[in-house]
Amino acid sequence: MHIPDGFLSIIICVTMYVISMGFLIWSWKKTKNVYSSSVTPMLAVSSAFVFAAQMINFPIMLGTSGHLVGGTFLAVILGPYAAMFSMTIVLMMQALIFADGGLSTFGANVFNMAVIGGLSYFIVKLLTRKSNSNGRFFLSVFAASWISMLLGALACGLQLGFSPLFSEAGGVLATVPSILLWHIVIGLGEAVITATLLTQLKRMPSIVISNFANIGGGLN
Amino acid sequence: MNGYIKALILILVSLAILIPLASSSPDGLEKVAETLGVDESESSVTSLMSDYVVPGVENEYGSTLLAGVAGVFLVLGAALVLGKSMTKSIKQ
Repeated sequence: MHIPDGFLSIIICVTMYVISMGFLIWSWKKTKNVYSSSVTPMLAVSSAFVFAAQMINFPIMLGTSGHLVGGTFLAVILGPYAAMFSMTIVLMMQALIFADGGLSTFGANVFNMAVIGGLSYFIVKLLTRKSNSNGRFFLSVFAASWISMLLGALACGLQLGFSPLFSEAGGVLATVPSILLWHIVIGLGEAVITATLLTQLKRMPSIVISNFANIGGGLN
Repeated sequence: MNGYIKALILILVSLAILIPLASSSPDGLEKVAETLGVDESESSVTSLMSDYVVPGVENEYGSTLLAGVAGVFLVLGAALVLGKSMTKSIKQ
């Protein structure tokens, strides 16, 4: 879902930079007041994990592949605010060093993956409520990952569709359905991986996970 | 700290195992662009390791793995710096 340079019009690029910047400033203010420095190693390792996971494309169907985005994974482990920063770091390295996602489209990519991914924390929280059951946790994470993937794809489809490069092909009426169609399936992969991983991590009594789900307000 | 280092090693080992199994088919967005007849123009900006390949390393697997390991440590380093500045206000 990494939009390369040249796909989006300048107006959309600038707009998405401004919107994403707004969310990051909001997150910065939230994190500053809440997070203790003991979160730092967890932030670093989970960001590294997401970078590595995004390199591994899995085949879905008809010669198309997808990879884990990891927005909901980060949101549950780090809370919504630090998750946005974590994903932004991953996207920044990908754009700067690996030419994966453009620089002009960076604001859009941050919105589609980092901002929406971070906000999916609230979907998990809404669905788990006060329940401590692993089954309910699994299903909540599953739903949140899938929804966040679809919302990201929808945003991506709108950004592309309103850019002149895609107007000849039919604009939003062409881009939105086709990108959603693929991400309905890719999102299921995202949901299975994220829910399985997080449910396993939640069961581990290790120190690594002791902060888990308490950071950023707590899920339970 | 030990647990984090274990997790990091696990990430790197998994990466080494999974790289050859990864699909090289276009992803959802690339497929949409392809179907709608939009070409991804070659970026004018040259990146250090475009498409996860280290220039000068002939072996395809080695090149991707090296790029991946470099990326993991770059992200790790950047996140550590960010984490430090982000949580500065709370002294422990």
